[in-house]
Amino acid sequence: MGEDLEFFFALMLSGASIGLMYSLIALGFVLVYKATDAINFAQGEFVMLAGMVVVTVLGAEAPLIAGVVVVLLVMVGFGFGLERVVLRPLLGRPVVAVIMATIGVAAVLRGWGPLVLGIETRALPLPIGDEPINIGPATLPPIQVLGAVVAVLFFLVFSWFFKKSRMGVAMRAVADNQQVAQAMGINVERYFALAWAMAGIVSALGGIVWGAMLGVDVQLALVGLKVFPVVILGGLDSIGGALIGGLIIGIVESLAAGYLDPYVGGGTKDFAPYVLMILVLMIRPYGIFGRRQIERV
Amino acid sequence: MFHRESGVFKTTYAADMALYPLPIAKWTMIALAVIFVLIVPMMVHEYYLSILNLIFIAIVGALGLNILVGYTGQISIGHGAFMSVGAYTAANLAVKLGLPFWLTLPAGGLMAALIGVVVGMPSLRIKGLYLAIATLAGQLIIEWTINRVPAISGGAQASIEVDRPSLFGFAFNTQGRLYFFLLFFAVIAIVATLNLVRSRIGRAFVAVRDQDIAAEIIGINIYRYKLLAFAISSFYAGVCGVLYTYYFGIANYEQFQLIVSIDYLAMIIIGGLGSVLGSILGATFVTLLPIVIRIFMENVGGLFFTAAEMANVISGLRLGVFGGLIIFFLIVEPEGLNRLWRNIRSYFRVWPFSY
Amino acid sequence: MTRFVRSVLGVAATTATLALGAGQAFAQKEVVFGLQCDRTGPTANVGTVLCPGYQDYIALVNSKGGVEGYKIKVLEIDNEYKVPPAIEAHERFKKEGAVLEGLYGTPQTAALNKKLEEDKILGTSPGFGTSPAADGKRFPYTFPIAASYWSQGGAAVAFAKEKLGTLKGKKIAYLFYDNPAGKEPLPILEDLAKAEGFELRTFAVPAPGLEMGAQILDITGRYKPDFIITHLFGRAPSVSIKELKGKGFPLSKVVAFVWGSSEADIIAAGGMGTAEGYNTIQFAGVGKDFPVIKDIEAMYKAQGKQPPKEMDSTVLYNRGVLVAALHVEALRNAIKAKNGAMPTSEEVKKGMEAVKGFTLGGLVPPMAITPTDHEGGGWVEVWTVKGGKLERTKAWFQGNRPVIEKHLAADASKS
Repeated sequence: MGEDLEFFFALMLSGASIGLMYSLIALGFVLVYKATDAINFAQGEFVMLAGMVVVTVLGAEAPLIAGVVVVLLVMVGFGFGLERVVLRPLLGRPVVAVIMATIGVAAVLRGWGPLVLGIETRALPLPIGDEPINIGPATLPPIQVLGAVVAVLFFLVFSWFFKKSRMGVAMRAVADNQQVAQAMGINVERYFALAWAMAGIVSALGGIVWGAMLGVDVQLALVGLKVFPVVILGGLDSIGGALIGGLIIGIVESLAAGYLDPYVGGGTKDFAPYVLMILVLMIRPYGIFGRRQIERV
Repeated sequence: MFHRESGVFKTTYAADMALYPLPIAKWTMIALAVIFVLIVPMMVHEYYLSILNLIFIAIVGALGLNILVGYTGQISIGHGAFMSVGAYTAANLAVKLGLPFWLTLPAGGLMAALIGVVVGMPSLRIKGLYLAIATLAGQLIIEWTINRVPAISGGAQASIEVDRPSLFGFAFNTQGRLYFFLLFFAVIAIVATLNLVRSRIGRAFVAVRDQDIAAEIIGINIYRYKLLAFAISSFYAGVCGVLYTYYFGIANYEQFQLIVSIDYLAMIIIGGLGSVLGSILGATFVTLLPIVIRIFMENVGGLFFTAAEMANVISGLRLGVFGGLIIFFLIVEPEGLNRLWRNIRSYFRVWPFSY
Repeated sequence: MTRFVRSVLGVAATTATLALGAGQAFAQKEVVFGLQCDRTGPTANVGTVLCPGYQDYIALVNSKGGVEGYKIKVLEIDNEYKVPPAIEAHERFKKEGAVLEGLYGTPQTAALNKKLEEDKILGTSPGFGTSPAADGKRFPYTFPIAASYWSQGGAAVAFAKEKLGTLKGKKIAYLFYDNPAGKEPLPILEDLAKAEGFELRTFAVPAPGLEMGAQILDITGRYKPDFIITHLFGRAPSVSIKELKGKGFPLSKVVAFVWGSSEADIIAAGGMGTAEGYNTIQFAGVGKDFPVIKDIEAMYKAQGKQPPKEMDSTVLYNRGVLVAALHVEALRNAIKAKNGAMPTSEEVKKGMEAVKGFTLGGLVPPMAITPTDHEGGGWVEVWTVKGGKLERTKAWFQGNRPVIEKHLAADASKS
C-alpha cells in the first residue's frame, strides 16, 4: 500500500510540474487572446524561434545571460512586428482569417527559422545540473522544477500587472470593450502590440525552458499542440486559468498514463486531455475561469 | 467562364440561377471537356498527368471543406480525419467483402458523413475558435481510434492494401487510366457542388453563415443545416479519402494527419472561401506551388547557392512562400484567387473601353 | 472562341513537346538516381543530415570518374513527409529516367510499394517501411536494405541476453512510440519472451512524445525491469534518456532502436556525458574511422572547402553514405552484367539483388541481398556511449534470425 501511495504521489508531482510547463506556453496564448481576441496557432513556433535564437547566441561563445537578453529583445521585437504587419490589417475579420494567418506565420517560421538560425539539433545547457531534486518520496529533474517556478513567477507578475499597473488596467479595458476604451483615450492599437510583445516575452522564457528540456530544433514547435486543452479547460482569457488548466492537464495525463495505460495497452496520455477538453466544451465552454460571454448558438 | 457579356439582361430568378448564364458558357464547358477528356491525356506526359491526378483528388476534398467553411461559416480542422474514415471504410469493404469501387466509394463517403455529424455536434453549441478546437480534438481522437482498433486498421501496420479499381475487367492501373477515373469523380464533385450551392440547401447554408439569428427567424432550422453541412462536407472528405486510397493502393491513417487538414484549409483560403471555382484554383495552386518552386530553383537557384545548400533552401523557401502566401491573401485579397480571376474578367468585360 | 481553343491547343502542344524533349535530353553517359528526403517535415532532423551524406558519397564517386564510366546525377526531392508530394516525386524520377530511387518515410513507402512494382523501379527504404517488405517475393521492388524493426527487435533481445547472461525470469520493458512503426516489433518481442522465458511489458508514448514522466515513473517506480528496449522517434529519445537518467535507472541497461540512436539525440539529452552507458542499435557504421569518410573529407579539402558540419553527426550521415553506396553498388553490378552498356531499371534491380560482400571498410554490414531477402540479412551493430563518444560494443550480428524468418514466412503465407 505504501508503495502504491508513493507511486500516486510521484505521478501527481511529475504531472503537476509538467503541467506548469504547459502553462508557460499557454500563458503566451492567453495574453494575446485576452487583449486582442486573436488566436495564435503559431505559439509553438514562437517557442521554437526563441530556443533557436538562444542556442545561436550560445553557439557564438556568448554567456547564457547574453542569450537571455538577446532572446528577450528579439521576441519583443518580433511580437511588435508581427502585430503591425500581419495582425493589425486583419482586425475585424472573421476568426478563421486570424487562425489561418497564424498558421501561415507558423509555416514561415518553420521554413525560415532553421534556414537562418541553423538546422541541426543543438543542446541548450542551463547551469542547473542534472541531479534530480528530491521532493518527499519522489524526484523531479531540475529543469522541470525551474519551468514550474518560471510559470508560477509569470503568473504572479501578470496577475499583479493586470490588477495594479496602469498599463494592465488599460489592457483589461481594451479587452472588455474596445470602443469604450478608445473613447476613454486609450490607444487600443498600442495595447494590441503590447500584448503580442508580452506573448513574445513568455515565449522567450518558454523557449529557454523547453529548449533545455528537449534540445532545440524544428520539433520544439510541437509543444504548441499542448496549448489547446490547457486553455480550453482554464478559460481562454484567464491567466489563472492557464495555470490551473496546465496543472489539471498535466496531472490527468500523468494519471492516465500511470493507471489507464496498463489496461488499454497504452497511449491514453494524448487522448485523455482532449476527451476532457470536449467534455468541458460541451458543459462549460468558457472554461473554469473564463468570462461567460462566449458566443453561443 | 471565359466569355464576356455585354451587360446584365436577366429578367427572372431562374435565369440568374442557371448553371450556364449564356449559351456560350455551355460551349466553354464543352470545349473544356474536350480538352480534358481527349486532348490532355493524349498529348501530355504521364508525369503531368500524375500531378493532375493529385489535383483532381485535392479538388474533391477542397470542395467539401469549402461547403463547410466557406458556405456555412463553420470551422473544421478535422478534414484529414474524415478522409481517413472514408479510406478505412472503403479499404475494409474492398478487402474483407471484395466489393468494387462503385460500392466502396459511396460507402466510405457515407461513413465519413456519419462520423462528421458526430464531430460536428459541438457546432450546435459553440462556434468560432471553440469549434475549431473541438474539431481538432475530433481529428486526434479519430487518429487514436484507428491506431488502436485492429478491426478498423487491419493490424499493427494500420495499413490495408487495396487493388486498383476496375470496371468490367478494365483495371485503372496506370497514371493515364487513373486520370480518367479521378477526372470523372472530380467533375461529379464540381457539378454536384455547383448544383448544391444554388439549391435551397446551399442558400440556407449561406444564410447560416451570414447571420444565423436572422436565418432562424426566416424559418431555417440552423441545427439541421449545420449538421447537414458537416455531413455533406465529410462525405466529400470521405470520398476524397477513398480516391486517395485507390490512387495510392493503400489506406494508412498516417497519410491523413493534422497537417493534411491544415493544407486543405490553406487551399480554400488561397482559392477563395465560398466559391467553387476558388476551391478548384486553390487545390491546383497548393498542389503546384512546391513543384513550381522546385523547378524554378533547380533552374535558377544554381546562380546563388551551392548544390549542398540548395536542398535546404528549396525546402525552406517552399514552406516560407506557402506561409507567406496565406498571410498575403488574407491581408490583401481575402477572397482569394477566385476574386483575382473575377477582377481580371471584369476588366476584360469592358475592355478596351474601360471608362 | 475558336481563337481561344486554338491558343489552348497551342499551349498544350508546346508543353507536350517540351515534356517529350526533356525526356530525351539527358546525356548518354549519365545515370539518374532519385532521392526523396524530408528536410522540413516532422523528421527533418534526420533528413537534413542523412541526405547530405547520400549526396556527398555520390559526389565522391563522380569525382573519381563515376561508376564504370557513368556519371551519376542525383535528383533530390523534399517530400515534406507528406504522401502526395512523394507520389509526385516518384513520377518525376520516372520521367527523368531514374534507374532507382531512395524512398523516405513509412507512409510514403506504403503508398509507393504498388507504384514501384507497376513501374518496375526499385526503391530503398532503409530503417523504415514495413518489416514484411524484406520478402522479395511479396514486394519485388521494395528494398529495405537495412535491418527492419523486426530484425532490430531480435537484435535488441539478443543484446539484452548478452548483457544479463540469461533472460529466464527477467523483466524487460519495451518503451515505444505509439504509432504503427512503434508497434511493429511487438510480435517478435512477444515470441522471444515466450521462447527465452522473460516477462515483457509495453509502455506506449503517444506522439509527439515530448514528455513521458508518467511512463518512466511506471517503469522505474513500479515495474522495475532488468532491461529496457526503447523505440522512439523525433525528440522522444532525448526525453527518454533524460527521464531515465533523472530516475536513476542505469543507461547501460537500455538499448535504443535505430531512430533513437544518433549523436543529436544524445546531445539534446544533455550531452555525451549525461548519457554514459546508453546503448544504440545501428544499421551503418558510426564515427569517422572509415576510409570512405576520409575520402569525402579529402574531396572537400581538395576543393578548398571545409568538410560540412553534417559530417559530425556521423550516425545519420553514415546512413546516407550507406544508402548511396548500396545504390552505386547495384548500378555497378548492373553495368558489369551488361558489359558496360546502360542498364535499365529492372537490370539495376537485379544488380541490387546481387550485392554481396560489399562492406566499405566496415561501414556497411556483411550483408547479402538476394531476390528473396531484400533486407540483406538484418545485420546490426550495437554502439555504446563511453567516455564522451559512441564506441562499438558488439560488431555486426543478426539477432534471433530464425524468429524473424518464421514471421516473414508466416506473413508471406497470409497474403
